[in-house]
Amino acid sequence: MRVVLAVLGVAALAWGAWLAVESVSVPALLWFAGGPVVHDAVVAPLVGVVGLAVARFVPERWRAPVAVGAVSSGVLVVLAVPLLWRPYGVPENPGLHDRDYVLGLAVALGVVWVGVLVSGLARPRRRGTSRRR
Amino acid sequence: MRVRVPEFRGAAHDERVTVRIGLWLGVSFGICFLTGLLSHFAQRGSYWPSAPADLYRITQGVHVVSGVASVPLLLAKLWSVYPKLFGRPLVRSLPHALERASILVLSGAAFFEVVTGLFNVAQNYVWGFGFVEAHHTVAWVAIGSVLVHVAVKLPVVRRGLSRLDREPAPVLSRRQFLRSTWLATGVAVVATAGATVPALRDVSVLSWRSARGPQGVPVNRTARAAGVTEVDDTWRLTVGMREFSLAELRALPQSTETLPIACVEGWSQSATWTGVPVADLLRLAGVAPGARVRVSSLEERGAYRTSELPGTHSDDPRTLLALRLNGEVLSPDHGYPCRLIAPSRPGVLQTKWVTRLEVA
Repeated sequence: MRVVLAVLGVAALAWGAWLAVESVSVPALLWFAGGPVVHDAVVAPLVGVVGLAVARFVPERWRAPVAVGAVSSGVLVVLAVPLLWRPYGVPENPGLHDRDYVLGLAVALGVVWVGVLVSGLARPRRRGTSRRR
Repeated sequence: MRVRVPEFRGAAHDERVTVRIGLWLGVSFGICFLTGLLSHFAQRGSYWPSAPADLYRITQGVHVVSGVASVPLLLAKLWSVYPKLFGRPLVRSLPHALERASILVLSGAAFFEVVTGLFNVAQNYVWGFGFVEAHHTVAWVAIGSVLVHVAVKLPVVRRGLSRLDREPAPVLSRRQFLRSTWLATGVAVVATAGATVPALRDVSVLSWRSARGPQGVPVNRTARAAGVTEVDDTWRLTVGMREFSLAELRALPQSTETLPIACVEGWSQSATWTGVPVADLLRLAGVAPGARVRVSSLEERGAYRTSELPGTHSDDPRTLLALRLNGEVLSPDHGYPCRLIAPSRPGVLQTKWVTRLEVA
């Protein structure tokens, strides 16, 4: 099983490398290398800092909902980047890319955080951790 | 300079979590790779089925949705293994060095595919290279390094699939981290899938397709962008050795079919098209349907000014040279005076402003 997977994998890699010989370019290599660099140096540390902040400053019963909300918000923002950041302008495409994406992102984030609020309020409190109102 | 290695205490970094997210990422990447290959064959290959008519719209919709679903899965997977980046010594042995290098290639290829894909569906060309070749080439690198990675890690996968027990955690437990990952994946899909799934069109706020567009169908390339500004009475359609004026085309027996425009960018829209079956035109010109046909546009520039219609499509009675869309004469942006519309065919190959059909 392992050998079969490895052989198939190496074959696919070799085919990819063969295709790359014809079409490789400096910008493509930079984009290839850029992903891991940006992730390891920016995205992952940011996740860590947010996680530490949640662990330190958020009351225990709210930690899980807030963490889920933060993760979902991060994913939504990442998905919105290509729609919002357009250094070369919007092509003229009737019916495509013509929504208000800022508003859309704001609505989506609002829905996520309403969900956080609802699930946080609905969570059973642990005895002794907080006083019943 | 001494770098202090950070301490990771979260349950997200547990091997059992890594393995479970890895499995799901493997599934979504695998589906994305296979549907991507299908799209490549549909565009470049010598054979692609013309039935069912919705085939390409489905495979490409699945491609784009599985690509979007891979974003949170990839981020969760990498967060799960992030502490390994700080493992010391940096390199223990030759196999260890190879393994680390292969993971670097895997992560580079995975990000490359996801990021270029997302920017491409947004038609946001921020890079200086051809998308199609690069996305296809790196797909092979990605799937190859995934397979090698699974081969290397198979014992860990077997071990990691053991039961998750309950444990206290600073923020999220193992189960909670996994559930958050599934939830974020769901959020990502719902926020974008409206481009592909009509029922979600008004829900998906980050969809790159709205409900507008001339005659109820979106337009990827307008007549102005294509440089096709004026079509007058001197326009003729050349089919093999014969020529047809627009009046002659309108006088031929017309067919009406409901067929989707299914774009490589994952959006699709069904519409009712009326026109002359391509097979009939070929017969009138003395060509047997079933031949591979080159379709040329009035468009002077652009990678898609011509397309090749496989024999399966030129023979299919639903393949039309459409003159009307949803009951109206084609608007200039939809390819006036006539455009190709064939079942199960990538949108970029549904050539508009057609001027010539010839055996390829």
